[in-house]
Amino acid sequence: MQDRVKFSSQRGLGLALTIPTLVAVFGTVLVPFVNSFWLSLHRRDIGRPHLDGFIGLGNYLKLLQDDRFLNSLEVTVVFSVTSVILELMLGVAIALVLNEKFKGRGFVRGLIILPWAMPSIVNAAMWQWIYNADHGALNALLSQLGLIDGYKVWLANPLTAKSLIILANVWKETPFTVLLVLAALQGIPDDIFDAAKVDGASAWQRFWTVTLRLLTPVIMVAGFLQLLWGFQTFELAYIITGGGPASANELLALRIYTQTFNSLRFGYGASIAYLTGLIILIPSIYYIRAAYRSVVEY
Amino acid sequence: MKKSVIPLIVLSLIVAVTLLLSGCAAAPTPEVVEEPTKAVEVAPTATPEPEPEAEAETITVIFPQHEADLSGAFEARVREFEAQSGVKVELIQANWDSIADRVVPEMATGGSAYDVVEFDNGWVAQWCGAGWTTPLDQYMEAGYTDGMIPGLVDLFSCPDGTVHGFVWNNDTRFFMYNAAKLAEAGFDASPKTVDELIEQSKAAQEAGVVEYGMAPFWEQNWSLVNELHFWAYTFGGEFVDDEGCFLFNKDPNTLAAVQFMIDTLESGVSNPAGLTYGQPASQDVFLKGGSLFYPQAIPGLLAYAQDDTVSDVVGQIKVALVPGATPDLSASLTLPEALAIPANSQHKEAAWKYIEFMTSYETNKMLAKEIGLLPIWVDLYTDPELTALYPEWAEFSAQLETARGLSTVTWYGDFADIAMSELHKALTGGQGAQEALDAMAKGLAEFECVR
Repeated sequence: MQDRVKFSSQRGLGLALTIPTLVAVFGTVLVPFVNSFWLSLHRRDIGRPHLDGFIGLGNYLKLLQDDRFLNSLEVTVVFSVTSVILELMLGVAIALVLNEKFKGRGFVRGLIILPWAMPSIVNAAMWQWIYNADHGALNALLSQLGLIDGYKVWLANPLTAKSLIILANVWKETPFTVLLVLAALQGIPDDIFDAAKVDGASAWQRFWTVTLRLLTPVIMVAGFLQLLWGFQTFELAYIITGGGPASANELLALRIYTQTFNSLRFGYGASIAYLTGLIILIPSIYYIRAAYRSVVEY
Repeated sequence: MKKSVIPLIVLSLIVAVTLLLSGCAAAPTPEVVEEPTKAVEVAPTATPEPEPEAEAETITVIFPQHEADLSGAFEARVREFEAQSGVKVELIQANWDSIADRVVPEMATGGSAYDVVEFDNGWVAQWCGAGWTTPLDQYMEAGYTDGMIPGLVDLFSCPDGTVHGFVWNNDTRFFMYNAAKLAEAGFDASPKTVDELIEQSKAAQEAGVVEYGMAPFWEQNWSLVNELHFWAYTFGGEFVDDEGCFLFNKDPNTLAAVQFMIDTLESGVSNPAGLTYGQPASQDVFLKGGSLFYPQAIPGLLAYAQDDTVSDVVGQIKVALVPGATPDLSASLTLPEALAIPANSQHKEAAWKYIEFMTSYETNKMLAKEIGLLPIWVDLYTDPELTALYPEWAEFSAQLETARGLSTVTWYGDFADIAMSELHKALTGGQGAQEALDAMAKGLAEFECVR
């Protein structure tokens, strides 16, 4: 009986201490979440208030025929997926190198974090200057190496600009994968590798069947988070090209912003945000389930 | 133990209810917390500050930095206003796009964070329709606008005839060219038509005098839509009729203007890097001698060109009429920016005093002297002190007669959004001129014949 009272008191205390946080979380997340969904079911053009009203799924149906939205969706998927693949490949490779013992390893490990620690806006401004057609470091480097005849206007070509913006993103985000994978590598007991060696596994076999297998859950988490961040990316495209050239870098976040705050279509902007959320949700569920399935005990 | 938990639960509930109630409370006038890009601390002045009996009224003012204001002339006038009126000014300045991103949502949501705001010419139709600004007629004395350039007053008047803004930046664009380089290429007169502009550019490029005829600012941005208007006007093009029905996709002159823009890139007359330039970058190339012509120059560019810290073309730049499609057709773009009082400002009287001071004859003359600001008062164009400083104003006045504003439609934001994307696609070779104009019409279909 006394135990029950104690348990109940502790439960009450826990609840009491949680209430303020719950209120804050519900107030700042759930209310805007529901409110913006309700907004997405309305025509809410602040510049044309006489047209406002409930239109049900009208905004969503319109989106499916909106060439600019479909272009943004394609641009964002290509940007995010390509970025994630490159970030994971590079991240794992760099982490494997940094896991080896060599002189100055601590310094290099510290250095590798820098791009990720840099504010996104600063990173975007830096790459804008690197790609500058007249004074950019990229032109200077390639020119001095004799790889190009004259300075190129990199950001005027849709394909080149798209690739370079992905490169800038990969440079910034790869250290995150390095950090996670490096931490995971340090947690793998040496015994497992020793056992594999005794069994006659080659270095490649050890990497493929032991290291990579054990790293899979971490790689899945890193990939999932970076896919989410890819869909949320705004400042890189906004600062470097403003979404151009020819809307080739008009990411979804940029489209939501221009529709909401330049064209003042708040309902339509909310529907783009919701549809984007839904699009991310489907692979996210699959991804998370796969990540849990691949957890290996050792 | 159970008893000791109860006060904690009560305390938590109090905190929770307080949080909820604070969320429901009427929002106070929001304070501007962002750091302005320019220093806004009150500069020390020689005039001793009077001891205030009560706390000074504070107004928040937001408008873009003027391109020619390298010396902080506007801020100095603001501080002068503070000293004279006793009104404190929280000044927020940044580039145009950044200011627009803050002002438009604030106006749209009926906020009262600002007391005096940037009022761009492109926003007039929409803002008038939505009632976002305060009519200024109730504050100004009879005959107040006599002596101002009438067109500038009209541009910021709503359809009911009330004035909603006074121009702080008479931003009319002028054709400037590098006379020294043009002479070196064998021409003693500036082009009178766009065909001559192409011919002179090619000749100068072939002679090795200059790398490009023009370095346009054609990045995918709002300024590209200004360029579209500018070139369409020089070809005699139109965008919409009086009812707001589309002309741009049917008008041969507008089509010719877009085709001209594409052709200058394909023929190498325009610098291809122009596809990534905003106006400052384009201006910089001209000031470094990298281009022969600067068709849509701000008036203050002449002052810049004479400053050897930013210019390699000191003494080489001249002004002429904008070349048109035919010799008798010259047109330019005027992009005046005004100051307006939001409908929900809590300090309208003080805000009006500020606008009155900043657009007064005296302030306008002082700014003209200091940074070459183009006056809004007609008499200042013949003021001996100013004409001695700026002899080129004689050329300006001829162009001012042909200057036209942006399209005045309530859906200008949508127009700009679609136009900049489709036009950029055409300029980068993704589609033809007519395709671009048709795509614009398709994207804007819901606004056909809506003013």
